[in-house]
Amino acid sequence: MELLLQQLANGLVIGSTYAVVAIGFALAFTVLRVINFAHPDIFMVGMFAGLVGAAQWPALGFAIAILAGALGACFVGFALERAVIAPLRGRDVLMTLIGTLGVAICLQNGMALIAGPDPVAYPALLPRQFVDIGPVALTLRQILNFGISLCLLILVSLYVRRTAFGRATRAIAERPDVAAAFGVNVARICRLTILLASSMAGIAAVSVGVLYGSASAFVGLLYGLKAFICMLVAGNRYFEGVMVVGLAIGVIEALVTGYLSSSLRDAAAFFVLIGVLYFRPNGLFGSYAA
Amino acid sequence: MNFASMTPVAIFTLLNVAMALGLYITALSGQLSMATAAIAGVGGYLAAVLTVKFGWPLLPAVCLAAIAGGLVGATLALITLKMRDFILKLTTLAFGEALSVLAFNWDYIGGANSFTGIGLKTNVWTAAAAALIAFYVAWRFDGSRLGFACRAVRDDPLAASAMGVSIAATRTVSFALGGALVGQAGAIQAHYVLVVSPHDLGFFVSLNFIIFLLFGGLQTLWGPILGAALLTILPEALRFTNEYRLILYGLIIVLVVLRRPEGLLTRMPLGSELKVLGFTLRPARPLADTPADRRLRPLPTPLVQPAKIAAQ
Repeated sequence: MELLLQQLANGLVIGSTYAVVAIGFALAFTVLRVINFAHPDIFMVGMFAGLVGAAQWPALGFAIAILAGALGACFVGFALERAVIAPLRGRDVLMTLIGTLGVAICLQNGMALIAGPDPVAYPALLPRQFVDIGPVALTLRQILNFGISLCLLILVSLYVRRTAFGRATRAIAERPDVAAAFGVNVARICRLTILLASSMAGIAAVSVGVLYGSASAFVGLLYGLKAFICMLVAGNRYFEGVMVVGLAIGVIEALVTGYLSSSLRDAAAFFVLIGVLYFRPNGLFGSYAA
Repeated sequence: MNFASMTPVAIFTLLNVAMALGLYITALSGQLSMATAAIAGVGGYLAAVLTVKFGWPLLPAVCLAAIAGGLVGATLALITLKMRDFILKLTTLAFGEALSVLAFNWDYIGGANSFTGIGLKTNVWTAAAAALIAFYVAWRFDGSRLGFACRAVRDDPLAASAMGVSIAATRTVSFALGGALVGQAGAIQAHYVLVVSPHDLGFFVSLNFIIFLLFGGLQTLWGPILGAALLTILPEALRFTNEYRLILYGLIIVLVVLRRPEGLLTRMPLGSELKVLGFTLRPARPLADTPADRRLRPLPTPLVQPAKIAAQ
């Protein structure tokens, strides 16, 4: 029973990061009809930007790391939108997929060139301290990571549901041409969406870097594939669905690791994907057409 | 750069050309399969098991691998027949990953430790034979009745079926034929790499072949050949740039996608005539209202801009 609760808590912590990255995928796909394969590497850039920020101003600690991570990821997202995604608007989904994949290759190998191919130690911004919550023991870093991810998810949900920009975002997701005819500035919302998704990924990346104490140029691959699966399983119509599925896949992975074997951990997400796509090809909560 | 270092590059180039042609045939009926690496892996595993565990010679093993690849392709086509475009791609992706997971957990073929102990049976000429066979099949298929039926299905399934073209039949045949070519190339590759691992079946390996196709251009047979050859040789040719080479590789992909979104080779690339030393190599072509031509010449704009209406 204690193992179950402990693995549930660990799974929720990992799943919350999956959910944040998956929301970035889903935002880019619904609003721009782009499968943004550079998104996991924007996450990676955010992680390193946070590292640099924390090293520059160690006195300010965690806050400056978060800020630097968000800004670094935002900058890359902005450049990506300007240079690759906007010129390819209206082209086949696969063309932008390959364009963003080229950017992803550049980012990964560029960062491996700057920071070295091996993982780099992350500054210890938080003490390694255990906190007991009932029968479950979590580290302070895990709690912080989960809290930050949860805050981001709640904020993006409020943004999409309650603000004028969010309403415009949903309108574009539904029908870009009709939204434009009703006075929505489609290009601006597209830019804003990429910036939002990127800065979320950057903030989550800093908290993940603090959690594991290391940053690697190839960390994006790990989170990217899982987040992509989360988006496919949930479908991209409801962002809240993507969040729930992200948390669920984290929990499933943790349970598989705890009760079966850790070698089956990566396979678990794919079994979920195949099973869901077989019965509900549009994902659990429905998808927009490509 | 001596000849010995060229041989592996030549072999991989030829095998990648063969697989890209297989994917080209599959894509001719309008659906881009994301399970190419998985089908190649099926061929590789099957041929490797036959030669290692049953002592078969290479040729029959490769033939059987081609048949198996064709069967897997046909199965994939039948599963996805009724699916819409994007969902179909995702299903082929999931299918490939499912095969990868299966290989991962099947101890008879090595499981997570990969299938090892394969004898070296491939040289440049075997690879060249695989590429030539693939080229011949793709070339004959491209100009055949069935090839035209495939293009009709790709361009407009409704009109094609109204003209009596069976969507199910053309799609199954193109998936099976493409799968067979990919299967044989995968079998030959397994006897050069000497290891088949479950990771070779995954999505990111399949993505390489899709990049070959879109980079070279999907409109002609020569596009995939050029794309596969260029993108296999390029990382090796850039080796003198050391650590920058993969960055350059990524940049080149981005630039080509931005500058030539239809791929490097298109059926009729320019509207202007091409002259060399006074000889007209290609006559001028009237421009049409297609995306490729609209980039060459500004078409007359409508009197009221849609964007202005939106702004008011």
